[in-house]
Amino acid sequence: MKETMKEKLFYLGRAICHPFDAFYEIRFRGKGSAGLAVLILLVFGVLQCVSYQYTGFIINTNDLASMNSISIFLTWVLGLVLFIVSNWSVTTLLNGKGNMTDILTVVSYSLVPVTCTLIFQVFASNFIIAEEAMIVYVITGVGFVWTIFMLLAGLCVIHEYGFGKTVVSIFLTFVAAAIIMFLGILFFTLIEQMVLFIVSVGREFMRRL
Amino acid sequence: MKKKMRNRFGALIAGFGCLACAVLLPMQALASDGSSYVYDGYTYDFYGNAKESPAMFQLERTISAENMNGVALSSVDDVCTSKDGRIFTIDTTESRMNVFDVGGNLLFTTKLVRTVDGAIALDENGNQIMLNAPEGVFVHEKEQEIYIADTGNKRIVVLDLATYGLLRIINAPEELAGVTQFVPSKIAVDLADRIYVVVQSSYEGILELTRDGEFSGYYGVNTPMVSLTDYFWKSIASDEQKAQMAKVYAPAFNNITLDGEGFVMAVTYDSSAADMVFRLNSKGENVLRMEGNTPVIGDVWNLSSTDAGSQFVDIAVTDFGTYALLDRNKGRIFLYNFDGELLNAFGSRGNLKGEFKSPTSIAWLGDRLVITDDILNYIYILTPTAFGRAVLEGNESYYFGDWDSALVSFKQALDLNANYEAAYSGIGKNYLMKEDYKTAMYYFKMGNNRVFYSKAYNGFRGEWLESHFAIIMILFIILVAAVIGSEVRYHKQSKVKAKAAVAILNSRQGRAEEE
Repeated sequence: MKETMKEKLFYLGRAICHPFDAFYEIRFRGKGSAGLAVLILLVFGVLQCVSYQYTGFIINTNDLASMNSISIFLTWVLGLVLFIVSNWSVTTLLNGKGNMTDILTVVSYSLVPVTCTLIFQVFASNFIIAEEAMIVYVITGVGFVWTIFMLLAGLCVIHEYGFGKTVVSIFLTFVAAAIIMFLGILFFTLIEQMVLFIVSVGREFMRRL
Repeated sequence: MKKKMRNRFGALIAGFGCLACAVLLPMQALASDGSSYVYDGYTYDFYGNAKESPAMFQLERTISAENMNGVALSSVDDVCTSKDGRIFTIDTTESRMNVFDVGGNLLFTTKLVRTVDGAIALDENGNQIMLNAPEGVFVHEKEQEIYIADTGNKRIVVLDLATYGLLRIINAPEELAGVTQFVPSKIAVDLADRIYVVVQSSYEGILELTRDGEFSGYYGVNTPMVSLTDYFWKSIASDEQKAQMAKVYAPAFNNITLDGEGFVMAVTYDSSAADMVFRLNSKGENVLRMEGNTPVIGDVWNLSSTDAGSQFVDIAVTDFGTYALLDRNKGRIFLYNFDGELLNAFGSRGNLKGEFKSPTSIAWLGDRLVITDDILNYIYILTPTAFGRAVLEGNESYYFGDWDSALVSFKQALDLNANYEAAYSGIGKNYLMKEDYKTAMYYFKMGNNRVFYSKAYNGFRGEWLESHFAIIMILFIILVAAVIGSEVRYHKQSKVKAKAAVAILNSRQGRAEEE
């Protein structure tokens, strides 16, 4: 058990340095861990709340008086879950070979660089002046680019796509996400109307009794 | 739990209420003692939310046709004040200049210009010099002169400040370049006696004349905003199509004044202009400071407001750089300090006492404000409230480097309005000047002033590094020593290992040779 955990952490580190090789191992030799992926996703959501509040005052323009940590956490985590689900639904139609667990693993593992730079940003921004903010932004930017690169590489490998097809599938993923959101809102609105109808019928019924 | 929910709901409703107030900003006529009118003021915080605030000014008195001793008053279009407390106003419809004192007594009124001796003045053709629909007036304290923009006659009439007698007339300069017609509307004269003339709807800038009335150039850059769609169509159009397109002209300046340092300050209400308020340097570029939490645009645009933004018709500047902008769109007065921080906004349009219908002009009279309205034909004299006095004194003391009294004034202002970001950052600046960095950081944080917080933090960090220098150096030396030590040890070990390896090899070889 300990050995496998160690191996999984090793492949997480390898994914950051050699995304193509490591994601190949994860996809075809079962070296990934869904549990670890979920953990990274949750940590990322918590860190977004932390950075909203504790990023240094000089580069933090958030209105802390109206902060809602639950909303921040859910926005990030559910946003990523929505990306995973819609990517799965798109790639299923486009002959993608990856299953849901693979996509989850790739997306979560890819978040590691941006998470690390986020921690750095929260810490360092408390000890900088405005002129030095650029350094922090550059390092955060490097983490972001790295994350994007890992995501593209990982999706290429697990779906067995070329680069162009991956980009197209990501674009279609956003379209699918918009459709899912539309359907969700439609669903809740209709349910709300139905519930209201039943409630008012019930109320009317009670009055006539 | 349920109670908690209700509380939360209540808070939500209160929040919406505040928001509605902030959007509508209803003006209540609170005439507490019958004589003064108390405005409702507000400011914007860093996030662009309107925050209620006491108004900086209250109505002291109005001057109207009743004060005119029977002379007709049909409109009040421009106002200027002199240092000795006289108020000069222009009545375009009646073609008159009226002079009042602070109490509202009519000191002088003229349509027919007389010479210094009191005789009727004649021009070179022997005609009487009558004002014809003048639009602007300016008092030039240095030379003790009054400049009147005699718009209908396309000339500038210069009178003596003491006797109101004619000194000279400036007609259209002969060598006037460009297509602008010499139709002077607003005037300002700087300390070097250069005359700046605003011609409404001139896209070439402000006319600059010498003291003798010779044309010396156009002044001021008013860049138009170019929208992205225009840019796109222009970029793909052919030369013939471009020639047919409507040209983008520079917007006109609409009013000017001079600040305490002799810079020309101008406003424009043309919606196509990129800036609304200008402080022009000698090259005619805008060097207005905008260091505040909101840009100098009056009402801040946000998603919930559907109305048009502010339109500034006039600007008035104090000696210490604090300026008042008059918004004709909503009848509001916006006060900014020389850093461009919004100090206060108040006023409204309407028919109640103290409200404006069509505000046209604004001027400072000491620490009072004089505002004119050309539909109600009123001259409003506003006097600072206790809050306003504290804010004005704080900014004046800060501007002239008197940190201690600025601190006292800003603390007074904070006592009257705890939501006041400008006062927090004002206090912070004073502590920063005294190098009390920690306190300064606290106040800049309260005032949401990140630029100055950074300056204070820079000082604080420097002090911290200095006071902990010994420890930091010791830690650094220990670190370096540890690195070097480990290297040395590693090398020794590898040498020992190498020796051992050589020894093993030798023994092996020896064994092999033996065999």
